[in-house]
Amino acid sequence: MTSRQKRQLKTNLVGYSFIIPNFIGYFVFIFLPVCFSFVLSVMKWDGSDAPMQFVGLQNFARLAGDSTFMISLKNTVWYAVFTVPLTLAASLLTAVLLNSKIKGIVVYRTAFFFPYVASLVAVGAVWNMLFQPEFGPINEFLKFIGIANPPKWCASTDWAMWVIIIVSVWKYMGYYMVVYLAALQGIAKDLYEAAEIDGATGFKKLRYITIPMLTPTTFFVVIMLTIQCFKVFDLIYVMTGGGPGRATNVLVNHIYNAAFVDFKFGYASASALVLFAIVLVITLIQLRGEKKFTDFV
Amino acid sequence: MRLRKIAALSLAAAMTASLTACSSGGSDAPTATTAGAAQGETKKEEAAPTSAPTAETTAPAQKVKMTVSVWDNASSPQFQAMADAFMEKHPEVEVELIDTQADEYDNKLTVMLAGGDSDPDVIMVKNAETQVTMKNKNQILDLTDYIARDGLDLSIYGGAAEQLQMDGRQYTLPFRRDWYVLYYNKDLFDAAGVEYPSDDMTWDEFEALAKEMTTGEGGAKVYGSHNHTWMALVSNWAVQDGKNTLMNEDYSFLKPYYEQALRMQDEGTVQSYANLKTGSIHYTSVFEQQQCAMLPMGSWFIATLIQDQKDGKVNFNWGVTKIPHPEGVEAGATVGAVTPIAVNAKTDVPDQAWEFVKFVTSEEGAEILADNSVFPAISTPAVVEKLSSIENFPEDGKTALEVTSFAFDRPLDAKMAAVRKVIEEEHDLIMIGEEDVDTGIANMNQRAAEAKQD
Repeated sequence: MTSRQKRQLKTNLVGYSFIIPNFIGYFVFIFLPVCFSFVLSVMKWDGSDAPMQFVGLQNFARLAGDSTFMISLKNTVWYAVFTVPLTLAASLLTAVLLNSKIKGIVVYRTAFFFPYVASLVAVGAVWNMLFQPEFGPINEFLKFIGIANPPKWCASTDWAMWVIIIVSVWKYMGYYMVVYLAALQGIAKDLYEAAEIDGATGFKKLRYITIPMLTPTTFFVVIMLTIQCFKVFDLIYVMTGGGPGRATNVLVNHIYNAAFVDFKFGYASASALVLFAIVLVITLIQLRGEKKFTDFV
Repeated sequence: MRLRKIAALSLAAAMTASLTACSSGGSDAPTATTAGAAQGETKKEEAAPTSAPTAETTAPAQKVKMTVSVWDNASSPQFQAMADAFMEKHPEVEVELIDTQADEYDNKLTVMLAGGDSDPDVIMVKNAETQVTMKNKNQILDLTDYIARDGLDLSIYGGAAEQLQMDGRQYTLPFRRDWYVLYYNKDLFDAAGVEYPSDDMTWDEFEALAKEMTTGEGGAKVYGSHNHTWMALVSNWAVQDGKNTLMNEDYSFLKPYYEQALRMQDEGTVQSYANLKTGSIHYTSVFEQQQCAMLPMGSWFIATLIQDQKDGKVNFNWGVTKIPHPEGVEAGATVGAVTPIAVNAKTDVPDQAWEFVKFVTSEEGAEILADNSVFPAISTPAVVEKLSSIENFPEDGKTALEVTSFAFDRPLDAKMAAVRKVIEEEHDLIMIGEEDVDTGIANMNQRAAEAKQD
């Protein structure tokens, strides 16, 4: 070994030693369980020390015939389809509005960001109270403005998911607003100046400068939101518990029940892999789209 | 760009991982020395002809350590009282309680047993159904031979022990029993000039009485009765005659009881299910704030009321009597659940564990439970006397403690948990009025059959 090689090795070792703590954590707590869940998905196992049984693709075949799984899948997609664009629009709008120099801007920004850091259990309980069908403030108000039969919200299979969507948007828009605010700071001022000289109005500036310049951020937000929506669980668990009936049962609910209520770990892993596949495909499509639309950056 | 791609993909991967990653690890194993010592002792005892551990213990300095799994120990003094009384009788044994929060108990226990540890040696089975799973996984000891050897008389449990048998073998013994009774607010009945609920009422008579006791409007309304949102508050009365169970293939036996529950809700003699559910309203507050005149509820609520009376939260007179019954069923027939106790199949101190089980399920153990306002599985005159002489227990409430027959609210069946989930979902839809009773029952039949399949 020449001294140059030795030096190189030493540098490498130093580098590796920096990443090893994190890598060990990743390997033990993420990589191995992921591999394990792939194995589990073709097994039948109740979590005891009884041996696993290889069942091939039977777990996946059963998913198709499981009405609760299909309803959960439908509910999850439904939730994501509405929550993603609504959160995106709400966070973009508030970010643009709060990017101006008005008095007390910090207060407003904090107010919008606050729901994100508030305890989910407390927030869920409060919203449940607001949406209470008989004497909740929201329905009191609706009755006051002349709606005789306001929705029963969480006590109705048609409306329960909408309650979840509304609360989700409210809770998570603050976080993406901050992401957008950061991106807005990065847009060069001269673009706006040039547009003003050309006679562009406020809306035109938003439409032709701000939104296009934010495209990379928007892609990032959409990907993060989609992943988040597909793994929604906690809010639903707190607010409706998947009810009424199965109206707000989502995929993660289904996985949780299969694994930790029925102790069917193989079946639960199979459901989780389906969820993984869905998120993977959506993410890949979005990444492809991102390449196409953000070439100018 | 590339970084973001990697980040997104690994996030997706991490998500899946966090969903399925299950911990199959067990709890802390006992330290090598303790376990070794304990095993040594056990061997000696196995060699000895009798099971009495006191006489044969050669080294009194070395105590045998035995663990018992319990829940909510801080608010359930009966567990420690039981352990203390046992240690007094068996000074060579040191009982250690492994405490878990009540709603986490079943999960924690599953994980501990899956690890194959010898701890806990003795298992308090919080939900009787779970003993079926534990037996199927060979996690609990068959006690039949111990019972035969020591000549235990199982008739003292009033049939509960037999109902706990699986495949004709006794894996568990009942130590605690709770059943449904009818609570009522004496002050409200006095004010209305109506006689207190009798201890021999049919459900129709109960419904009429509830209607009579419903008064007021809006915020001042007092409901005649109160049905909590549990499915048990409908299904229990349907299984009270002991002819049907929630594992039936056909759930149409529930129909008359759903019709009654919905009727009472429509007529406003009970609060609406949707309201209670969305408001997460607890029955304790409804009864204690005098918003209902009657309340069908489990016997565990007696201890709550007595405690709250002591704390000044209950400042009215309450009474308790037998639960109403269906037409043609004898008064005193009730529905409830027992809490069984089992021994870990991998225990390193089986004889001491058995002694403990024998002790807590004995009359002596029952009296210790009764002293702590907990309803033991045995109801001897001494136990009834102890329970009814608890301070603040209503004098005329003794009748509620006399049980003529006892049906399990849910049968012991490995599939019960899965079936329960689907029928409760349909219960939800029936009670909020999204499904009519017939549709709901048809769905129950179909979905329960699916749930039973695997």
